[in-house]
Amino acid sequence: MSEIALDIQNVRKSFSGHVAVKNLSLQVPCGSVYGLLGPNGAGKTTTIRMILDIIEPDSGTISIFGESSLRGRAGNRIGYLPEERGLYKKMQVRRVLKFLAELKGVRGRDADKRIEMWLQRLSLTGGDKDWGSARVEELSRGMQQKVQFIGALLHEPELIILDEPFSGLDPMNAQALKDTVVDLRREGRTVIFSTHLMENAERLCDAVCIIAHGEKVLDGTVTAVKAEHGGHYVAIALGQDRPSAVADIFADRSLVNGLDDSNRTVEIELAPNADAQLLLRKLIDAGATVERFELVQPSLHRIFLDTVGATGVEPGMSGHG
Amino acid sequence: MAKLWAIIKREYLERVRSKWYLLSTALAPLFFGIIAIVPMVIASRTKASPDLSHVVILDATGTQLGLRVAGELAGGISGAPTRAVVRAVAPSELAPAETLATHEVMRLQDPMLGYLVLDSSTIAGHSERYAGRNASTLVDVSEIESSVRRALLAQRLEHEGLQPSRIKELTKVDLKMTSERLSDRGREVGGLANALFSYLIAFVLYMMLVIYGQQILRGVMEEKTSRVAEVVISSVSTDTLLAGKVIGVGGASLTQIIVWVVSTALVFKSRGVILARLHVANVELPIPHIGIGIALLLLAFFVLGFIFYAALFAAMGSTVTNEQDVQQASLPVTMLLVASIVFIQPILLDPTSTFSKVMSWLPFSSPILMPLRMTVVQVSWAELAGTLAGLLLACVAATWVAARIYRVGMLMYGKRPTFREMARWVRRAA
Repeated sequence: MSEIALDIQNVRKSFSGHVAVKNLSLQVPCGSVYGLLGPNGAGKTTTIRMILDIIEPDSGTISIFGESSLRGRAGNRIGYLPEERGLYKKMQVRRVLKFLAELKGVRGRDADKRIEMWLQRLSLTGGDKDWGSARVEELSRGMQQKVQFIGALLHEPELIILDEPFSGLDPMNAQALKDTVVDLRREGRTVIFSTHLMENAERLCDAVCIIAHGEKVLDGTVTAVKAEHGGHYVAIALGQDRPSAVADIFADRSLVNGLDDSNRTVEIELAPNADAQLLLRKLIDAGATVERFELVQPSLHRIFLDTVGATGVEPGMSGHG
Repeated sequence: MAKLWAIIKREYLERVRSKWYLLSTALAPLFFGIIAIVPMVIASRTKASPDLSHVVILDATGTQLGLRVAGELAGGISGAPTRAVVRAVAPSELAPAETLATHEVMRLQDPMLGYLVLDSSTIAGHSERYAGRNASTLVDVSEIESSVRRALLAQRLEHEGLQPSRIKELTKVDLKMTSERLSDRGREVGGLANALFSYLIAFVLYMMLVIYGQQILRGVMEEKTSRVAEVVISSVSTDTLLAGKVIGVGGASLTQIIVWVVSTALVFKSRGVILARLHVANVELPIPHIGIGIALLLLAFFVLGFIFYAALFAAMGSTVTNEQDVQQASLPVTMLLVASIVFIQPILLDPTSTFSKVMSWLPFSSPILMPLRMTVVQVSWAELAGTLAGLLLACVAATWVAARIYRVGMLMYGKRPTFREMARWVRRAA
């Protein structure tokens, strides 16, 4: 078996003169959780659709487990949850799942057994109501997402591609999905998911690729990416009443190179050669109540802002504190 | 192949499980049964049509013609003119006589059915006039007309010296025409019944193509708007999805047709028993004989016609994302179907004309008009084979074009593409 689950080389795709993906190259190792990060419109979904052979790249190559065509065996080794969720609304949940399983070559009792197992695992049956016998349209949005997630996993794929899997999920369902991703990783499967929520990526991913405007900005393991964008970062938590002098300290360019102020917590990038101890002393002298002062690695969110730039960030995506 | 089968199965089962499908499949034979049985039951229960002799006859001929007509209306030359009111009037007094007769027709108490004017023009064999409540009832008007004709003929013959009894013998002509269709299989019963049967076949084919074509269009649009298409397309090619959809929905419609035909045939076959139970005399209905060859040809035209139109409807469905655009998108394809159905009557009137032949050859109209023509007149096997081959080629072309529009259209959102854009998709995919 190939050590590389997905290998993309110099892929380019344009639509009516607009270049959606520019010479993108990346490699996803087998058995890893890989994050495809980028703002809305960065080219993540186009890349995923090319991986799945839904659309063809204008140039470049894509191979999955060493195979360049998905129409053969490789197609059944992939599970896919698209960004825009949708199921046949009038169909019964079990019938939809059976149909999705059959499309991936799982049939008969084997399919039925797997469907029951997954419905149970994601709490869609076994409680007050058996949602498996309900019509899709009777389910809540979160439940429909769970059903679609099951549909992507029924054939026990080796590579699972999840496009914005956490969007629209409540905390309970999001947690159930995260737990499942972690379980899949433990089982040795490869998971690629796209997101613009950096916190999820930071928690789940072994490696990431940040793309913006159709181009790769950086990629690598999360550890390597953080090391590369090292710098001196300090996470500070201040008490409720922040003295006005604190703002002057944060504005001091000899100490602070940049900051991400999330009200309760402030992530600060220290200026080159600046002393963290000096910063702490100045804050205390200014009368601030310092509840937390910790030297940290930069968050993916910080790195994302630094590399993509705030202009590339869509409203509502600054989910990280 | 297994994936294609999964799609066919879903499309077929989801349709045949729907309430709409079950109802329409079950109710149609009932409807046909009602058509076959109820009119006979009603006919046996209801009285004969209103007495046509309940009219005023204004006789300005100066002869006994009015009385003779009254006799004819009452049931023949010796019939008692009990109900008809015959008034001999001078030609100059016809106007006030007509006014009076009009009042008698319009009055509330025991109104007359109408009044008939006989004058010198009638004697000359040119014209007669009738005004009445039943003047637009074709059967009544025709009966009054032939009564006057018989009475006039009898009067003329009497003038020539013939005895009334001899006249009765000579003028009693009760002809009923039966028409037979001549074909390679020899004589067949029911020329008119054959035409009606052909009309029914053409209409059912048209109906199925429109209803199920629209279902495919909406199904494709729903798949696209609900984004479920993306999951399916990630597992199968768009060509497989399109093929599965057409075959699955086609299978559902074919099942419905077969259930209709078989159950209706059973109803017709057991009609005698049902009518006997209702104490109604059975009348033999001249249903044309449909041999296995014709049945297979009808099936071939339906299947190929379905593939042709279903592929086009599916392609159009892939270009829309909302209900408002559905009508506009389906219009070009529906127009092709309507263009076929509007020519049913001219073709029935003259099925051997060049126009009828050409219309039954054209691939877009042949699935409806060739079955119509071939059940009305004899069509050579060579002509049938040529038409089928043309339709088959058209099917290949339509599915080829449709698959290319479908492939791009399914993942395109936003405004509806123009025909020029669709042509570009086809060219690029080619």
